[in-house]
Amino acid sequence: MGVVDYFKPVSTWPAEKVREFLDQHSPQEYNLVDVRTPQEYEKGHLPGARLIPVAELETRWKELDPNKLTIAY
Amino acid sequence: MEGGINAWKGLVAKGIPDAGMAYFEPAKKTGELIALAWYLEEGSRKFYAEMARREKDPEAVGLLNELVDDEERHKTSLFQLQQTLSGRKSDPAFPGSLIGIKPGVEYLEGGMLLSEALEWVRGKEVREVLDLSVSLEVNAVDLYIKMERKVQEKEARQVFQILSNQEKIHLERLSSLLEKR
Repeated sequence: MGVVDYFKPVSTWPAEKVREFLDQHSPQEYNLVDVRTPQEYEKGHLPGARLIPVAELETRWKELDPNKLTIAY
Repeated sequence: MEGGINAWKGLVAKGIPDAGMAYFEPAKKTGELIALAWYLEEGSRKFYAEMARREKDPEAVGLLNELVDDEERHKTSLFQLQQTLSGRKSDPAFPGSLIGIKPGVEYLEGGMLLSEALEWVRGKEVREVLDLSVSLEVNAVDLYIKMERKVQEKEARQVFQILSNQEKIHLERLSSLLEKR
């Protein structure tokens, strides 16, 4: 990831649009990331979401496929 | 996602990131994950079979019996996958040869103990049984997506993809029936 990547626009989708997208695509087509704490994740998360807490994003972003759309919450 | 998880009106899975893969011993190798999935399918099959035997609602009984058949097919798919990957035509000790479990302890796909689930549904209405089944299935979808990510073998990835898609269909059918009840 280069410095330019920090300036790429990031769109925000309403939950209903996310739900429609997830319904229409297979989990292999996107990255779904839960950036909350492990405790919050344990209480309830979107099915198939990866847990990468915000504090760990800087070191773990390589786990995500850059060629796929990433949805974070 | 705008509003984060609080804005999400759909179903959620519960548990730690490796939930479902650490019920017995942490399952890491592909064979262990296949064996674990087989045990979970068997637990769910027994649960649905017992519910189908107990319930009176014809539509619910019909769906539960279909789920029993599906879980049986899933077990067969997993057994065949293990045969393909191991190159062995038969393993009479499968799945116990791949992963250790305590005798008599059975889990459902959602990670709940079969004995606890059967105890919980005692005296409950069909609506509550369907509600529990929905929560089991949403965790099953979550589990198979994660298993698919963990394995390297193409054949295993395909099987886990199929299983997660089929569990999603179960989820939709159970949710649909639950809305009508």
